[in-house]
Amino acid sequence: MKNKQLSAIVVGAGAGGGVMAKELAQSGIRVTLFERGDWPSYDKHINDELISQRVQELGSAFGPDWEKNPRVVRHDDGSEQLVTAQSYAYNHVAACVGSGTVSYGAMAWRFMPEDFKMKSVYGAVPGSTLADWPISYEDLAPYYDKAEQEIGVSGDMSQNPFAPNQHQSYPMPAFEYNRDGAFLDGVCREMGLHPFSIPMLRNSVPYNGRAGCIRNRTCCGFACPIDAKNGTHNTVIPTALATGNCELKTNSFVYHIETDGRRATAVSYFDADKKSHRLEADIIVVSASASETARLLLNSASSHFPKGIGNRNDWVGRNLQGHAYTGASGLFDFDLLDLSGPGACVAIMDYNHHNEGIIGGGVLCNEFYQLPYAFSQHRPPGAPRWGKAHKQYQRENYHRLGRMIGPIQEIPNFDSRVMVSDRVRDYWGVPVVVNTGSRHPIDEKHCNFLASKAEAILKKAGAYQTWQHGGGGGMTGGQHQAGTCRMGDDPATSVTDRFGRVHDLDNLYIADGSLMVTNGGFNPVLTILALAYRTGEHIVNQWSV
Amino acid sequence: MKSNRRQFIKQCMLLYGSVLFLPSCRPSAAPVWYSGFTAQEASAIDAICEQLIPADDYPGAREAGVIHYIDKLLYQRFPQHKQTYRQGLAGVEACSQALYGNSFAELTGAQQIAMLELMERGELPARYWPQTTQKAFFELILAHTMQGFYGSPRHGGNKDYVSYRMMKLDYPLLIGQNRYEK
Repeated sequence: MKNKQLSAIVVGAGAGGGVMAKELAQSGIRVTLFERGDWPSYDKHINDELISQRVQELGSAFGPDWEKNPRVVRHDDGSEQLVTAQSYAYNHVAACVGSGTVSYGAMAWRFMPEDFKMKSVYGAVPGSTLADWPISYEDLAPYYDKAEQEIGVSGDMSQNPFAPNQHQSYPMPAFEYNRDGAFLDGVCREMGLHPFSIPMLRNSVPYNGRAGCIRNRTCCGFACPIDAKNGTHNTVIPTALATGNCELKTNSFVYHIETDGRRATAVSYFDADKKSHRLEADIIVVSASASETARLLLNSASSHFPKGIGNRNDWVGRNLQGHAYTGASGLFDFDLLDLSGPGACVAIMDYNHHNEGIIGGGVLCNEFYQLPYAFSQHRPPGAPRWGKAHKQYQRENYHRLGRMIGPIQEIPNFDSRVMVSDRVRDYWGVPVVVNTGSRHPIDEKHCNFLASKAEAILKKAGAYQTWQHGGGGGMTGGQHQAGTCRMGDDPATSVTDRFGRVHDLDNLYIADGSLMVTNGGFNPVLTILALAYRTGEHIVNQWSV
Repeated sequence: MKSNRRQFIKQCMLLYGSVLFLPSCRPSAAPVWYSGFTAQEASAIDAICEQLIPADDYPGAREAGVIHYIDKLLYQRFPQHKQTYRQGLAGVEACSQALYGNSFAELTGAQQIAMLELMERGELPARYWPQTTQKAFFELILAHTMQGFYGSPRHGGNKDYVSYRMMKLDYPLLIGQNRYEK
């Protein structure tokens, strides 16, 4: 078998790392895939709203351990605050095999062609690092195809004139609407909008040897009990392991990368017993999320890279983006919900691009079903939060609340960033992430735009009371974190080249949301998967003899 | 979870230790119902929770066992909140005595609601809460009451799924994965 002599290390078994492991292992490269968490097991991921990925009042079912992995939030006034995975602004991403792809809502968006050339389309924005990607939609399209086929997407874009893949079919048919989805679809059509069934990384019919979805309402935030939701943990990672070329090291935390100045040579990691080890490889890929990838590069400073690997020009950790979720809710005098999960099923892309005065915009969807506790935290402005009125609201409106909500494309700025702490260390003694900076002020305008459009739909639908929620301002990151190791053609203003290779080194690659120059007005996972397929193919071509 | 279990075992050892070796040190013969607070504190918590989610046509916080959720939370998961509870409850008691000459738990429903509304807005005299604030305590116990009432029964509250029944949510919530529920 060719390439048998080559070895690779992949750090992080989430969306990007899972795909990367499979691409490399299939080509014959010997892969060690590191994951700081464990395999997700259903015994841990129980049906418990207070321990889900969306509501973490009592902890997270998917890691990381809340006591061992603190982070620091640095506020604008310079004060610092220690936070856990359950705190605001921690920017929590699941730490388990599959990471967020185990418990996500599984929306499978392609970015639009405009999302790859934001600066060309909209011009420079003062105070922003808005830029074009070094690659176009067309460059990434074949890898979107591959992600949709191999991980598995259900959908149908034929009714959506804004979809770049309008005339192309998905491997599985689209999901049927639930009651609120069907209702809001009709309302949108009346308004001249273009609703469609959300493409999902979830089986609408049996696929890839696993079952079709049974429409649990506890889907987003939970692992699927029948394995009908598609992540890297039940697709590409098992495929990689089956090649015999991939070893998965769980509970193993990579904390340092060694270089000789031109090449990355080895990583150091702690095993489950907190014992440190060192492993050499020919190729190293970091796919640990926008926060942890930046942390690993910054923590790997050496005489060759005194400010951290790839950080010659101080771009590592910069331009942290997420998604300001924004939208509106409305109360109806009839039952709107039938609780056929996961809730979100209808979307419009009418407000992504080509809206007067708006840079980017965002997709609008009906919302994933909220469980009773989350519902108790959501009220119209001024409504009582407790007492008889609270209780009455809970039971009268749980089935009668409609919501349209979406991720606003954030406009990146240099000072929204991930750093490493010079004071705080984690359980293993490794300097932790410091989150600092805030969103660009222009996001507020875009949020108001999308929220007012959402409210207009609910008003048209006949809601007797509506209100807007969400908005810009504050710190960013969250589960959709991106941008901290931007790809670009100019090493002075980026961290990696157009294939995700760190500029200064021949054999160090990145394969996660860190690469993304801008974060689109969509959930980013399909783009992360596609980028990993593209970089994986490139590595194989580059390194095959 | 490991450290929780450790803490729990430590608590047990302390308790048994006192029973075995220092029986004379135990105050009176009153049964110990809660790990995190005294009987008097418990009656105040119970009264506050019941006003936050009162019984109407459906059971309220008391019948749902919200206080058990809070007790478990304070000794198992968030022992750092114990202090806020202790200080917050002391303030409630002192303020209630000053305003009405009675314990909070003994006030009429209308008096309790009036006090809680003022607390929520931070409008009771601040001197009763020298080490925490009335608003901080109010927000904490409000959040915990909601979690206890609407969260899974396995954490101590929402006994017999009273909140789910009220909201017309059927069970099992997650088909094929209800082994913890019955």
